Amino acid sequence: MSEPILQVKDLNIKFSLRGRVLHAIRGVSLDIHQGESLAIVGESGSGKSVLTKSFMGLLDANGWVDSGSIIFEGKDVANYKTEKEWLSIRGRKIAMVLQDPMTSLNPLKNIGKQIGEALFLHQGLKGAQAQERIREILLDVGIEDPQRRMKQYPHQFSGGMRQRVVIAIAIACQPQILICDEPTTALDVTIQAQILQLIRNLIKKYNLTTIYITHDLGVVANIADRIAVMYAGDIVEIGTCDEIFYAPKHPYTWALLSSLPQLGRKGEELFAIKGTPPNLFNEVAGDAFAPRNPFALNIDFKERPPYFDVSPTHRVRSWLLDERAPKVEPPESLKRIDAQGGSLYEFG
Amino acid sequence: MLNYVGKRLLASVLTLLIILTVVFALMRQMPIEGYFDNFDKVAKPVVEAKLQQLGLRDPLWVQLKNFYAGLLQGDLGISNRYAVGVNIGSIIKAKAPVSIRMGLFSMALSLLVGIPLGAKMARSKSKIWDKLGTGFIVFINAVPAAVYYIYIQSYGSRLFNISMLFDMNNPVTWILPVVSMSLGSIAYYAMWLRRYMVDEMNKDYVKLARAKGVSGRNITMQHVFRNAFVPMIQYIPSSLLFTVAGSIYIESLYSIPGMGGLLVDVITRQDNTMVQTLVMIYASIGIIGMLLGDLLMAVIDPRISFSKVEGVR
Repeated sequence: MSEPILQVKDLNIKFSLRGRVLHAIRGVSLDIHQGESLAIVGESGSGKSVLTKSFMGLLDANGWVDSGSIIFEGKDVANYKTEKEWLSIRGRKIAMVLQDPMTSLNPLKNIGKQIGEALFLHQGLKGAQAQERIREILLDVGIEDPQRRMKQYPHQFSGGMRQRVVIAIAIACQPQILICDEPTTALDVTIQAQILQLIRNLIKKYNLTTIYITHDLGVVANIADRIAVMYAGDIVEIGTCDEIFYAPKHPYTWALLSSLPQLGRKGEELFAIKGTPPNLFNEVAGDAFAPRNPFALNIDFKERPPYFDVSPTHRVRSWLLDERAPKVEPPESLKRIDAQGGSLYEFG
Repeated sequence: MLNYVGKRLLASVLTLLIILTVVFALMRQMPIEGYFDNFDKVAKPVVEAKLQQLGLRDPLWVQLKNFYAGLLQGDLGISNRYAVGVNIGSIIKAKAPVSIRMGLFSMALSLLVGIPLGAKMARSKSKIWDKLGTGFIVFINAVPAAVYYIYIQSYGSRLFNISMLFDMNNPVTWILPVVSMSLGSIAYYAMWLRRYMVDEMNKDYVKLARAKGVSGRNITMQHVFRNAFVPMIQYIPSSLLFTVAGSIYIESLYSIPGMGGLLVDVITRQDNTMVQTLVMIYASIGIIGMLLGDLLMAVIDPRISFSKVEGVR
């Protein structure tokens, strides 16, 4: 595996909300490697977006990096305070595609101008040069007739087309890292597939490193090299796509995979994880998943598990992997992933 | 766009015709005393002769035709009680420029102060500027204007050592009335701009602009402000045109010989022709103002004039 392009070390992020402090990211460490495609999965509120936003200094005003570091190009960007420092990264080196294309574009500026704005900011391109580049980018993201299209406004594009424009803005300045924050959630399934295909093509063409946030495991299977599973502001399991889908080790990952509707049997009730995620306003004792975990051990309620290395690429934060822990078998239904593995990869 | 302009223009002309006709018809229902300066002392035959001469004994449709013919030639009619025998056009010509000038100064001041204030308040939401601005807005809206108008007049004139009354030839005396007139609209512009800007700042396109690497200052100037100003720009032409109506209170406070209070004046004096003319002028201004506002909005916001013909794909 190549050198890490971005290294997160023991990152803690907190928010102050109505006078109380919410511990949103609880000690996350993560290496992102040049050219890889990493998916971050987890339920709503698990901190997927917050984690990636902190790479670009896009945390809301009431949030801050409490401790830890984010090393990018030899600098610890977690220490960045001023807007000027962040502007050297945002859009230029790390770019982002947001969830809802219907609202992510300024309704009053034509899309040529909105792409051109990024080109001017980061590459100083103006006039004919910029126009030429905008046409190229539009063709890259599959928008035909760019000469005419670049003069049109967002309302003249459909949802899928708008997401292509948003992607065009993101890749305009050839960033090193592209963060896709649920880019297909707001789109219908056929368009989802097209946008995923587009992102895959662009990854190849522009040699992008991508971080893909989603809670759609079908999409993950489609696009990711590695998967990080987040729960309550922590990465509980991380491994290659195969390791997570075919040899998951963390009970939360088991539960998450069991929730895949494809694995259900006709007539059986769909699997759902019981209970609710912990309240991050309170400090979590032990393993955050313990109260919802049918395999929880006594120690899970008392002490936070460390990471156990299953393989050089596969790490799991669960006491079940301790040699003193009882042997536990993953749920039966997960074996069906093997049986229909191929179809899972095709899904989405 | 042309399509939209055409439709809007046609609708406005139709509305204007309907209003003019309705006002005209209503005024025919007014007592005939309104056409005479001293009705009680005039003999019946003389009354009849004057009504004949004014054309008020003609069938209604002939009267309407003559009325429109007169309007087309710029004839606004003749005052019969307010200033007997004087052409209404010339009365307005004498008064309107004063009101318009004061109104334009006041509008310029309101926009120049109100808009930066609103923008500053939105940028520093919940901080000191926002709180000071909110205090000002609440004060202006809660305290009756008459109260602070009088304070401004008496303390202001003492402070600058100038006359309490308006003097056409001394521009320094224009300051206090213009400032007084502006306070309300400064608060209005600041309040609405702040509100619309705060709304816009929470939209996704602002998040994308930040992720794109646009600085906070440029996001406010180039993205947020224009979007926030769309709903406000609609009212600018109306405000501009209505400066002609003047301000009743300010003009009487400073003895400004403007249009303010003219309509109320002619209504109490029952000068039928003048009431008719003034109501028509103000109604027309309202309609034209709205038309211009809509067109201005369409220029700024491409979604408004967007027709299905161009097609969404």
